[in-house]
Amino acid sequence: MISARDIVKNYGPKPVLRGISLRANAKQITLMVGPNGAGKSTTLKVLAGLIRPNSGTGQVNGFDILKQRILAQRSTAYLPQRPSFHPKLTCLEVLRFYAGLRGVPVSRCEAMLQLTGLGDAARMRTEKLSGGMRQLLGVAFLLLADAPVLLLDEPGLSLDPGWRKWLQQKLRFEAECGKTILVTTHLIAEWNNVADRCLLCRDGIIERELDSRNLPDDFDEMEAVDAARTILDQRFLGSARATRADFGALAEISSEPTSNKVRDGEAPSPAREARALPRATRQLL
Amino acid sequence: MSPSEITDFVSRTSRALFAREFRAALINRYFQVFCVLGFMGGIAAAIFGEDANATAVFYVQIAIYFVSLFALLAGVGSAQAEREEWQLLFTQPLPRAACVIGKFCALLSMFGGVLLLMFVPGLLAGLAIHAAALLYFETFLLAATFLAFGLAAGYFAHDRAQGLIVGVSVWLLLLFGLDLVALFAARWSAIQNVPDLWVALLMFNPLDSFRINALFALQQIPAEAANKTPLASWWIAHASIWFIAIAIIWSLMLVMLSGLRLKIWEE
Repeated sequence: MISARDIVKNYGPKPVLRGISLRANAKQITLMVGPNGAGKSTTLKVLAGLIRPNSGTGQVNGFDILKQRILAQRSTAYLPQRPSFHPKLTCLEVLRFYAGLRGVPVSRCEAMLQLTGLGDAARMRTEKLSGGMRQLLGVAFLLLADAPVLLLDEPGLSLDPGWRKWLQQKLRFEAECGKTILVTTHLIAEWNNVADRCLLCRDGIIERELDSRNLPDDFDEMEAVDAARTILDQRFLGSARATRADFGALAEISSEPTSNKVRDGEAPSPAREARALPRATRQLL
Repeated sequence: MSPSEITDFVSRTSRALFAREFRAALINRYFQVFCVLGFMGGIAAAIFGEDANATAVFYVQIAIYFVSLFALLAGVGSAQAEREEWQLLFTQPLPRAACVIGKFCALLSMFGGVLLLMFVPGLLAGLAIHAAALLYFETFLLAATFLAFGLAAGYFAHDRAQGLIVGVSVWLLLLFGLDLVALFAARWSAIQNVPDLWVALLMFNPLDSFRINALFALQQIPAEAANKTPLASWWIAHASIWFIAIAIIWSLMLVMLSGLRLKIWEE
């Protein structure tokens, strides 16, 4: 189980996490989605013991990530966005080293390489691996320790669709075995119906929980849905929330300037929002 | 953690770190060159040294100009080689300082082996075992100091090039720079009134400390031969102990500094 409460992290004067609180349960895949720069990776790094938060607390498998860092790290396996390894060592040597540190039998290294399709590359230096192979070695590294908590930062970015599907199935299997799995991604649609829960992270906080069985295709669409909700709330119901029946009237307003939302440095674009609204309406209905 | 778990943890971690460093050193270019040149240097010392004392002086030169530089380069190279991997390494359940200490001990033990190889030809050429053992030990300590310098430079630098530039600059400063500063400072009347000041500058330089110790010990120059200040008298009388102390202090300080660097590292 993972829990975090009010985690704040600043890089110099710039706040990255503004008080993240989340909970990820055992036997579940919890997805953390959000646009670039939302703070997803930083949250994972804090939980993995890579960086220290300015304030807030967190627990991994019952161990405090600050006061019991080593014990918390024993329960955790972390896969970074772009895993890098000692360039001059072979895949097998890299895994053997980590197996040694974790007290894992060396025989498991070859098994993990076979599992991830790197059996033939076991004696290849990691500097010669392609991006996808390096990612697969990262997955082998992740699974090597058989840790009860798995943290994955944008997994499968360099993997082909087949391996991405395999990874999702593998994570589902690991979750069913009792592990706690927290995954960050901005490729939301791929995880539709795979994750058990989905948390939307934006501007350094967990904004809300999304329906993990009906995830939007991308963030533009999600933002358009939000915009449509806002318009309907403002036009029809004042401060009250729109109901399903009110959405029928949306077409009437879709050609007008619709939202006061302005992105950083970008002027409002009525035409863009108007294009997105019919699709957003479909989502809401 | 119980004591047995701690023992198991330490032995497991040490074995893993040693095995990895040993494997990495075997394919490290600096280390390969060091092995070959070290052995050739040892043979050259045995062949060209006219007597045992000359052979020992030859070894001193090899230690000052060659062992120190290669220890430093090996340190920088080893620290930088795994920089990209810190993200994975630091999520492992071990204190970050353990990575530095493990690397330092592993590399130093390998240097110890290569230095042994370097001293064998000298022994065969008639170098007394006692003198060879003392010289070996002091060269080993000099290697430890510069290995620690190299690791610190490698860990603090942003990339390999910067690490090498900083490392070699430090080496040049210690080899020539401080001596030149002391030489020029000695011409200044204010410094002439406190000569211990520039003596101290030389004392704290591990290369000068090694050089002075070797000169007075090997060439059997009586301590009274030097025109000395009280501090210099004490230094020359205790040159060997002073060098051992200063080498250990420098090594520990630099390894601790590297450990601190890793402890506060955040991507």
